[in-house]
Amino acid sequence: MPGGIIFEFPELFLTGLWLTIQISVLGLIGAIVLGTLVALARVSPIVPLRWIGGAYVEFFRNTPLIVQLFFLFLGLGSLGFRFSSDTFESIFRAAATGMALYHGAYVAEVVRGGLLGVDRGQIEAARSLGLSYLQMVQYVQLPQTFRSVIPPLGNIAIALVKNTSLASTIGVAELLYAAEIVESRTFRAEEAFIAATMLFLLLTIPLGILVNALERRLLVVR
Amino acid sequence: MRGITRALALGLTLAFVATACGAGGTTTPSPTAAASQAATKPKHDLATYQYSLQTKGKIRIGTQEDNTPFSVKTPATGKWDGFDVAIGREIAKAIFGEGEDVEKFIEWVPVVSATRIPAITDNKADIVIKTFTINAERKAQIDFSDVYFRTGQRILVKKDNTTIKEAADMAGKTICSQRGSTSEKNISTATNGAARPLLLDSYPACLLALQQGQADAVSTDETILFGLVKQDPNTKIVGKYFSQEPYGIGVKKSAGGDRTGFVDFINRTLITLITTGKWATFYEQYITPVSGDKKRTPDD
Repeated sequence: MPGGIIFEFPELFLTGLWLTIQISVLGLIGAIVLGTLVALARVSPIVPLRWIGGAYVEFFRNTPLIVQLFFLFLGLGSLGFRFSSDTFESIFRAAATGMALYHGAYVAEVVRGGLLGVDRGQIEAARSLGLSYLQMVQYVQLPQTFRSVIPPLGNIAIALVKNTSLASTIGVAELLYAAEIVESRTFRAEEAFIAATMLFLLLTIPLGILVNALERRLLVVR
Repeated sequence: MRGITRALALGLTLAFVATACGAGGTTTPSPTAAASQAATKPKHDLATYQYSLQTKGKIRIGTQEDNTPFSVKTPATGKWDGFDVAIGREIAKAIFGEGEDVEKFIEWVPVVSATRIPAITDNKADIVIKTFTINAERKAQIDFSDVYFRTGQRILVKKDNTTIKEAADMAGKTICSQRGSTSEKNISTATNGAARPLLLDSYPACLLALQQGQADAVSTDETILFGLVKQDPNTKIVGKYFSQEPYGIGVKKSAGGDRTGFVDFINRTLITLITTGKWATFYEQYITPVSGDKKRTPDD
């Protein structure tokens, strides 16, 4: 039975699955919060904020995630900064931070697109009604933005779940790592990686369905 | 790339010549060459592979270009050096004689771990000497000489570390190793699963984690640890071997008698190297600077 090897090494695979879920959830929350703030900075009337937002997006979007992860783990370590005194807690937090920073750049661009897509007339109407800039953003721009960006955000979320496998390179015992350990112990490479693939699909397919459902409920037809 | 192509082309040519000679049933060398060197050349039985190599005037030795301290090709001079290289030269001397510069009889074929077996089975190298662990899986594909070097897994710690002395002391500690290797399994076996393995992509990354204190130790084959100690003199290698890695010289399996007597010949040469003390000299020259110990035989 394909994936039967999961039950021979349940501890490795299930710990891996649980770590993948944890990093994905933390990374996604971080990416959405960070990305939204950066997007707001990029469309704000304050010029230095726009620059900072732009620099962040260009830096994290244009460098490989694996390099960023290595920097967060061993690079910051060389500079004397640790996420935690415990190595395994440290690499876990480095991985979650890396996911949030990297995917935050993509979220920022998607949200920025959404913010710019809100009808100009509505913004002017809100301001002429006496709403401050921040009130206008909060009550007029952002609610409409989030409805329209659900499909691209769903893409980013699914990519993020798969990209957590790169955390294995800094030693996080997630799914791919579990598969590699099982492979080096048993030399049954195909079975180990098929098992990891199945467990990844177990996460990403329901996530895709969830995104579609959200889209149907919230998307405004224009 | 060019080097590989050239080695391949030469390998094919030699293979062709060998086949042609075999088919003709004669292995007569050119008379002048034979006459001028006959005095210094060792005598080999006509049917043996070492005789046909001597006749060809060339042995192809496969080893790695950057495997300190076992084999290194110095980029500036193109010269080969190291423990494996020295053993290779001695085998060449046993075939071609002591008198002349043995280097002119040797063609060095660069290999890496993954190309060691293909280099032999595809007849691109006559022998492969490259930290080549003898195991049953490989023995099914090629022949090995007797063990000429023994190593195993040991532990690398910071110089000031006093808590980790033997494999059992790794229990509860963060031990760095490379993913996808058997090192992790050996650590787990040695500590009954009590060590906390930190598995990274490369040993330099492990060394960095050790330097930063994010790992308590690095553990893998001693030969790899030698290289790491060289990079960072603030580290030391501790403990006895807790896995066995016996290195042998790889040779093509004799098909239709084309390698008759060759493995025995290499084994006899290795024994001579050990009994004459040459093996110990090489060990002292290449291995002692990084290991700090001295050995007279591989089994010391």
